Amino acid sequence: MVGQQGIRYTISLIAAHFGDVVAVCECLIRRGSLCFMDVVRFTELHQGQVKDCLLVLIQHNCVQAFSIPKTGLSIPQHPPPLRIGMGGATMPVTLYMAIFDNIIHRMRFSKFLQIVKEHLGNQCAELLEGFLQHGRLTFELLYDRASGLSGGKAKRDDVLATFNKLVHAHYLERCPKGDPFLEPKDNDDVSSVRKRTRSGEETSTIEQEAIIAAAPLDADRFSGILDLMMDTEADIKHIKNDSSLEVSAGNKRKHEVLEAEEEIQNTINTIDVLWRANYEKFVQCLKKKTCVANVRSRFGLDAAIVLEAMIGSSDRQNARTMNSVSSSMSSIIESVRGKPGGISMTLEHVRTILEQLGCQVCTEETGALYTVGLKDIIENCQNDEVESLVFKKYGKESYRIFRLLIKMGRLVPMDQISDKTFLEKKEAQKILCKLWKDDYLDMEKVNLNVGGRSEVFLWKVNRKVLWELVLNDMFHTALNISQKIAQVAEEFLLSNTDVQKAERLRRARIILESSLLKMDDAIMLFHDF
Amino acid sequence: MEDIKKLSKSSINCVSVDVASLSLGELHGHRSRYLATVSVSVSGDRSRSSSLAINISVIIMSGTGKLPQKRKLPTLPENEKKLYDLIWSKETLGIWTADMKKETGLANNAVTKALKSLQSKGLIKDVVNIHNKAKKIYMAVEFEPSEEISGGTWYSEGSLDLEFITILREQCRRYVERLKVATAENVCQFINDSGIFKIVCDLPQIKEIMSAMVLDKEIEESISSGVGDFFNIQAGRKCYRSLKGRDGPKEGFFSSVPCGVCPRINECSPDGIISPNTCVYYQKWLGLDY
Repeated sequence: MVGQQGIRYTISLIAAHFGDVVAVCECLIRRGSLCFMDVVRFTELHQGQVKDCLLVLIQHNCVQAFSIPKTGLSIPQHPPPLRIGMGGATMPVTLYMAIFDNIIHRMRFSKFLQIVKEHLGNQCAELLEGFLQHGRLTFELLYDRASGLSGGKAKRDDVLATFNKLVHAHYLERCPKGDPFLEPKDNDDVSSVRKRTRSGEETSTIEQEAIIAAAPLDADRFSGILDLMMDTEADIKHIKNDSSLEVSAGNKRKHEVLEAEEEIQNTINTIDVLWRANYEKFVQCLKKKTCVANVRSRFGLDAAIVLEAMIGSSDRQNARTMNSVSSSMSSIIESVRGKPGGISMTLEHVRTILEQLGCQVCTEETGALYTVGLKDIIENCQNDEVESLVFKKYGKESYRIFRLLIKMGRLVPMDQISDKTFLEKKEAQKILCKLWKDDYLDMEKVNLNVGGRSEVFLWKVNRKVLWELVLNDMFHTALNISQKIAQVAEEFLLSNTDVQKAERLRRARIILESSLLKMDDAIMLFHDF
Repeated sequence: MEDIKKLSKSSINCVSVDVASLSLGELHGHRSRYLATVSVSVSGDRSRSSSLAINISVIIMSGTGKLPQKRKLPTLPENEKKLYDLIWSKETLGIWTADMKKETGLANNAVTKALKSLQSKGLIKDVVNIHNKAKKIYMAVEFEPSEEISGGTWYSEGSLDLEFITILREQCRRYVERLKVATAENVCQFINDSGIFKIVCDLPQIKEIMSAMVLDKEIEESISSGVGDFFNIQAGRKCYRSLKGRDGPKEGFFSSVPCGVCPRINECSPDGIISPNTCVYYQKWLGLDY
C-alpha cells in the first residue's frame, strides 16, 4: 500500500513527463480502476482527450485495461469489485487501472540503461533507450528508429541480433494482452457482497488478477524473433486466436461502447507484436547489486564474489521474487572461478564464506544445495537505513535503544531496556516517549503489582507501520528534490549575467540530481525489493 | 574471613584451606563497593595419586553472602520497636515511609520521630531507590539493598556509575581491536589480569558491556569459523569482532538529505509556507544561502 506522498510523487512524475495526461492518470490513481465513461465524468474532459490520454498512458505501460463481467447497475464511486450490480445479464465492461510501480520506474530509466550498458554493451543500451522513450514498439518501429539514428547505416540483421540478445537476457519482453477478460470465479447466483467477501479472503485484488491474466506465458514472453517473415505470420495467427474471445465479447456490448472507447480497443488489441522493457528483470538486477554491495561492506570482497556467483548460478525457481537463492557447491565454485578475483579462492575458503553468510544447506538427490536468504540481507539494509535516521535525528542513545528493540523484535519492558543500554531509567524513558510520539515505537501498558509499582511499560518497533511511514517520507523527499531541481533550473536560466550564481546553481543541481538517484535507491529498498 | 572458610568447607570436601591473599579495595572512592578477592587453595584426598588445586575467586559485597542475624537490641520504645521490626522484616527490599505508616498504623509525626531516633542509634539507614529517588526507603543496617532497589552492579548510590562503565567499555574495545576477534571469556580474563580495576569483573558483566558495544556498532557479534581472523577461536563459538574503520552507524541515503531529519517535514508541502522552494535547510545544504 502506497501512502499519500507516493501518490503525489507519481502524479508529479507523469505531469513532468507527459503534461496534460496527468489529469486522467491522477483520476485513476486516486479513485482506482474506472471505466471509460467514469474517467470522462470525473476528469470533466472531452471524450477525445480522455481517449488520447489513455492511449499515451497505455503506450508507456502506465495504464492497463481489463474487462470484467458487469450486470446491470454500476456504482461509479466504488472500486471495480463493487461494480457488479444485482440481477440482469452478464456483460463485460472495460476498466482502466494505473500501474503505480511502472510509473515510479520512470525515474529509474538511467539506472536500467546503465545495467544493460555494463552487461551487453552500448548497442544494446541504445536499442533499450528506444523502448524507454516510446514505451511499446514493434520490431519494425524499432528498426526504423535505429536506422534513422544511424543515418540508414544500421543493418536489419544486426538490429535483430542485438534485439534478440536483449530478449534472451530478459531485458525485453512481449507486451501483455491489451484487454484481458477476467472470467467470473463461479457461476453460482451469489450476491455481489458474497463475491466480494470471497475475493477479500484471497490475497489478490482484481487488479493483481488482471495483471496476471494479461501477462503472456513465460515461453512466449521471452521467445525472440527467429525469422522475421515467419515470425510475423505466426504471431498474427497466435494473436487472432487469442483475441477471438475478446472480439465475440466485444460484439455483445457494441451498442454500448462509445466510438472513442472502441478506438482505444482497436489500438490496444492490435495484431502487431509489441515489445517493451521488462522492468521486473531490472528490479532484480538492482536488488542483486544492493545485496552484493551490502555483503561486500559487511564481510569483504571475497564474500561479495561468492554471493554474486550464487545469484548468478542459482536455479530460476525463485527468480521472480528473489527472496532467496539456492545453488550447488559445484555451480558456485564454477561461477566463482569465472569472476575476476575468484580464481584463487579455494573450496575451503568458499565454504567458510557460505557459513559466514548464514547459508542453509539442504541435501537433495543431486547433492547439497546452499541457500542464502536475500530477504535477510535486504532487511539488514532497511534496518541500516532507519537506524541511521534515528541516529541523526535523535542521537546516539536513541540509536542504541532503537537497535536493541529491532534486535529483540518483541515487546520489551522499560527496565530491561535501560539496563541493556546502560542508560538512567529516566533518560531511557524520555527517549522512548520521544520515539513513541514520532511513531517510531509501539507502547503497551501492563498493570502489574510488582515491586510496589503497578504499571509496567512495554516497548517495541512495529516494523510494518514504521517502514510505511519512512517510505511515505521518502516519497515526500523525492517530490521535494524534484521540485527543487525545477526551481534551480529555472533560476539558472535567469542568471545569465551572474557567472558566480550560475556556477552555484549548476553545482546545486548536480547535488540534487545525484541525491534523487540515491533517494530512489532507498525507495526501492522499501518498496520494490 | 570466617565466612570464607565456612563457605569453602561447606561447598568442597577439602582437607585444608590456605588463604593465599586477601585484598580489600575501594573502587573509585565508592564506599559501598568494598570487596575481597580471595585465593583459596584446596587440597584433595591425600591418599589419591594427585592433589587437587583449585583457585577460586570469590567476590564478597560487604554484608551479602549470608543472611545477617538480628543483633541484640537495646531496649527501644514501643513505636521504635514496632517500626524496627517491620523494617528488619523487609530485609534487602527496605520499606517506603508511606508503607510504614500504612502497615504500623502510626501517625505521621510518630513515624518521623521514631525513624530519626533509630537512625541516630545506627540501627537503620536510608537507601536510594533507583526507580524513584524521591521515594525514601529505609533498611536495617545489616542489609545491603537488593538489585531491585540499587539497580545492580552498574549503579552506585542510586546513579549509573558512568565513569566505571566508560573505562571498562574502552578497555574491552581496545582489547578486541588488538586481537581483531575475541570471546567474552578472553576479554574477561584480560580485564581481570590487567589490574586496571580493583574489582573483579565477572563474565555476565563483560557480556553485558559487549552487548551494549554491539548495539553501538563498535564491535559485532560473530560465530567463529575457525579460520582466518578466527584461527584462535574454536569453530562455532560465539565471539566478537572489531569493526574498526567501519564502526558506528552507516550513513543512510535518507539521512543524508535535509528532509530525512527535518523536524517540519509534516508541515512541508509544494505550495505551503514551508516548501522546498522556501526551505532554509535546502539553501544551506546546496550552498545557495549567500
